[in-house]
Amino acid sequence: MNKFQRLVYPFPAIAGQERMKKGLILNAINPRLGGILIRGEKGTAKSTAVRALAALLPETEVVAGCLFNCDPNDISRLCEQCRTLLAAGEKLERTSRQVQVIDLPVSATEDRVVGSLDFEHAIKHGVRRFEPGLLAQANRGIIYVDEVNLLDDHIVDVLLDAAAMGINVVERESVSYVHPAEFILVGTMNPEEGDLRPQLIDRFGLCIEVEGVRDPGERVEIAKRREAFDADPMGFIARWAVEEQAVKDRITVARQLLPKVTISLGLLELITQLCLEGFVAGHRADIIMEAAARTIAAWHGREEVTEQDVYEVADMVMFHRIRQAPPPPPEQPKPPEPSEPAGEQQEEPESLEEPEPEQAPPAEQADSEPEKQEDEWNEQEQNEQEQSNSPPAVPQEIVFAVGQPFQVKRITHDRDRILRKGSGRRSHTKTASKAGRYVRSTMQRKNDDLAFDATLRAAAPYQVYRRREQIAIAIETADIREKVREKRIGNFLLFVVDASGSMGARQRMVETKGAILSLLLDAYQKRDRIGMIAFKGNTAEVLLPPTNSVEMAHKLLEELPTGGKTPLSAGLTKAYGVAKTQLLKDPNISPLLIIISDGKGNVSIGSDKPLKEALRAAEIIQEEERIKSLVIDVENKGFLTFGLARELAHSLGAEYHKIDELKADTLVQAVGRAVSRE
Amino acid sequence: MSELKKIYPFAALVGQEEMKKGLLLNAVNPKLSGILIRGEKGTAKSTAVRALAALLPEIEVVADCLYGCNPDDITTMCMNCRERQANGETLPRERRKMRVVDLPVSATEDRVVGTLDIEQAIKRGEKRFEPGVLAQANRGILYVDEVNLLDDHIVDVLLDSAAMGVNTVEREGVSFSHPANFILVGTMNPEEGELRPQLLDRFGFCVNITGIIDPALRVEVVKRRAAFEEDPESFADRWEAEQDKLRRQIIEAKALLPKVQISDEMLFLIAGIAIEMGVDGHRADLIMMKAAKTMAAFNGREEVSEEDVRQSVDLALLHRMRRKPFQELAVDRQKLQGVMAGFKHSHAHNHAHSHAHTNTVK
Ligand SMILES: [Zn+2]
Repeated sequence: MNKFQRLVYPFPAIAGQERMKKGLILNAINPRLGGILIRGEKGTAKSTAVRALAALLPETEVVAGCLFNCDPNDISRLCEQCRTLLAAGEKLERTSRQVQVIDLPVSATEDRVVGSLDFEHAIKHGVRRFEPGLLAQANRGIIYVDEVNLLDDHIVDVLLDAAAMGINVVERESVSYVHPAEFILVGTMNPEEGDLRPQLIDRFGLCIEVEGVRDPGERVEIAKRREAFDADPMGFIARWAVEEQAVKDRITVARQLLPKVTISLGLLELITQLCLEGFVAGHRADIIMEAAARTIAAWHGREEVTEQDVYEVADMVMFHRIRQAPPPPPEQPKPPEPSEPAGEQQEEPESLEEPEPEQAPPAEQADSEPEKQEDEWNEQEQNEQEQSNSPPAVPQEIVFAVGQPFQVKRITHDRDRILRKGSGRRSHTKTASKAGRYVRSTMQRKNDDLAFDATLRAAAPYQVYRRREQIAIAIETADIREKVREKRIGNFLLFVVDASGSMGARQRMVETKGAILSLLLDAYQKRDRIGMIAFKGNTAEVLLPPTNSVEMAHKLLEELPTGGKTPLSAGLTKAYGVAKTQLLKDPNISPLLIIISDGKGNVSIGSDKPLKEALRAAEIIQEEERIKSLVIDVENKGFLTFGLARELAHSLGAEYHKIDELKADTLVQAVGRAVSRE
Repeated sequence: MSELKKIYPFAALVGQEEMKKGLLLNAVNPKLSGILIRGEKGTAKSTAVRALAALLPEIEVVADCLYGCNPDDITTMCMNCRERQANGETLPRERRKMRVVDLPVSATEDRVVGTLDIEQAIKRGEKRFEPGVLAQANRGILYVDEVNLLDDHIVDVLLDSAAMGVNTVEREGVSFSHPANFILVGTMNPEEGELRPQLLDRFGFCVNITGIIDPALRVEVVKRRAAFEEDPESFADRWEAEQDKLRRQIIEAKALLPKVQISDEMLFLIAGIAIEMGVDGHRADLIMMKAAKTMAAFNGREEVSEEDVRQSVDLALLHRMRRKPFQELAVDRQKLQGVMAGFKHSHAHNHAHSHAHTNTVK
């Protein structure tokens, strides 16, 4: 079917963004490069460029009338229909058509991606027929996903499966079908909205990062051209037609030249060396870099790859795969600048496994004497307070600045682990409610959430046998299918912050606020829900009720004063209450208490000793399996340490960290881990 | 028409000049792609949006087309209209007001993008596409009250179609795409959470509004509101002349807009502002340029003045400023003045661009 499309802005009219354009052109010349991922800030013509590329794509030979664009010259990869024709001794009719760019919208459901039963046909003829989906249309073409980082995980899985095998295997809804599905994946995304899963990133042969143009003249040119296009798109396209044709012709020439392009052994070694030095995993990068270097040589009209060619493509190939930026080439006029984010991406799954957090070692605590400790500590606290009280003009409450946030690292691998379990933006959950995105259907009945399309497909093949009055289709109970929905729910991060005087003693609060800030930053990207409780003096207070507004949290953080005693148990009890209420409102949410304290509780709610009461509260929290916790110990390293926070972590069954040991990555990872723990 | 009378007249809105300007400019030029109005509760945000509906100009549509296609522009027509025209049919025309289509926060995805037509499937066993909210909003305004409360996956869908003006549907057994070119208007209370940066950028303009402080104006707000509530019809009648003036101004501006020229000098000023003030991407430049041109048209001029640019800066820049985490949305006024003054200064000394005075964009 012909699809509605807007007039497309001509490729050569895109001002600047040379690397993005080159990356796209390379893919138009050589489909073996495996596509491209374009990352960048909003409003940098990313999707305009991809759509413009469609007009430049070359023609290929296909079997006329084949739904899968089979290649008549490659009988090893024909679809069933073409094979049957061939076996029957018929000749495959050839035709030529332009390589297609197939849009995969983020709202797509599984049935349309992989294909499903053709219900119209089934109703009319009582015959099951496969209705090809996007993967079929995209065979030997390009699948384009705008905002690819927003694609549902289930759809991503389907794409990855097909991409890995080059075929689409359909076993669903009483249809069983296999067809070739070799496609190039092109994606655009804004990293502000979160990142991609590593397996998906790896599927993109090339990756480039775009940013806004800084040159005023170029910016003016961009604005002028865009305005001219908006005012008269047809005229604008016509004015650029010659240049567009020139690019197209050059691509065709390069395609023809490509098989002849050779690469010297020395340059192959260079490629291997670059990949080794960049600690690129696997051999995919080497292979793609070699292919990309040959492709760019062809684009330049050369039959021999030069060193310059290799460097020109090196960072496009390695950008998303490296753990270390490529070294600058020796004496190159234009060295590929290892873009800054490349450094941040160095993290690879292995490193996840390394420094396991210190678990609260139970044995150590077993024979400790909390009460004695408590007394000792209370003495110290008194001394501290006396000291801090001695100068007359010191106010009871002090507001400390927010410490520098740690730079928050990407935690794609963490996210992936969690995803497998299936729970946010940080993790996805199959929701039991009718909210969320419909991704596929199921025969299981429990939600009363009718998936009408799937139900129709289930009922369709039987219509010729069923009695129908006035209607075209009779549905029986056995046909009913329900929707499986995915809803991104962030986690609920509840900060439980010790704002007592001891926190203020040595400017602990500055660091604490810095730590909270870095977690808030991360929560912002993942759209986690957040809340904040502070305890000091005699009570705990909900400073920030559960909200998505990280801004509010930050404001409160800035204003948070410290001073007074440490009502730890009150803080814990309040946190428990807030988390429970939140669970009632939304059973899918997973609350994580982030307790930031030195554990030196010295005020109790009831008649128990403060510490005992706090540990009891901790045990109650531990009993609620849905609530996870994380303790960040802010006790000062010093002559006398009590390890009370560690003990608290033990009672909570929580992960334990000393604040000094926490850098942003470990902190964020710790949260990721705590959330994913069963 | 009596329906419309129950809506508070736009002309009677007190204060909030920046918001009114933003809304009016959008009524003149749909390419400004909308406005986000941020403010506390009770600042008449949604009243203003509803009021705008009554001022919206009429557009020419294909009478029986679900998407309200423009009969004079084949490039933006839906496939059905294109086919009909190709078959030699004269498309039936109609003039109607631009629509304001509500997108409720509780809307489900299938209602937004459209879905399989259940009735057609049951009765005829045929697969047909049932258009959703995005179809209705084509060539009109899509209004989301409390836009910050919108479900993430609905936002994703909005982003997807707003980017290209096309709604591509591949779900629930249907494969369909249709024009979905809408002006996105949203209102929100920032206390209830912020918008995702990506969605923020989709709004051409953004304004922060606060309660009116001037006691005299506050009294005026209350008085008018009371008068309106007491007798909406006669209140509307009293404002009809003013309303009509605005309506005419919009129509005239719309007609003038294609003729408005902008000099390279002004374009460099705009680029300079965008670079110096630190915005992401190039959309700020485009919006500032379009806004300045629309501003000129609204004031009946064919040449963009520096004042037009100045008038459009805030609206286009507020939500695009690169900001530190959690920093509040705000334009650094001092810096902006510096940039604009600096531009003048350099311009006086360097006439490199001024030869281009006549070299304007067509
Ligand atoms: Zn139409």
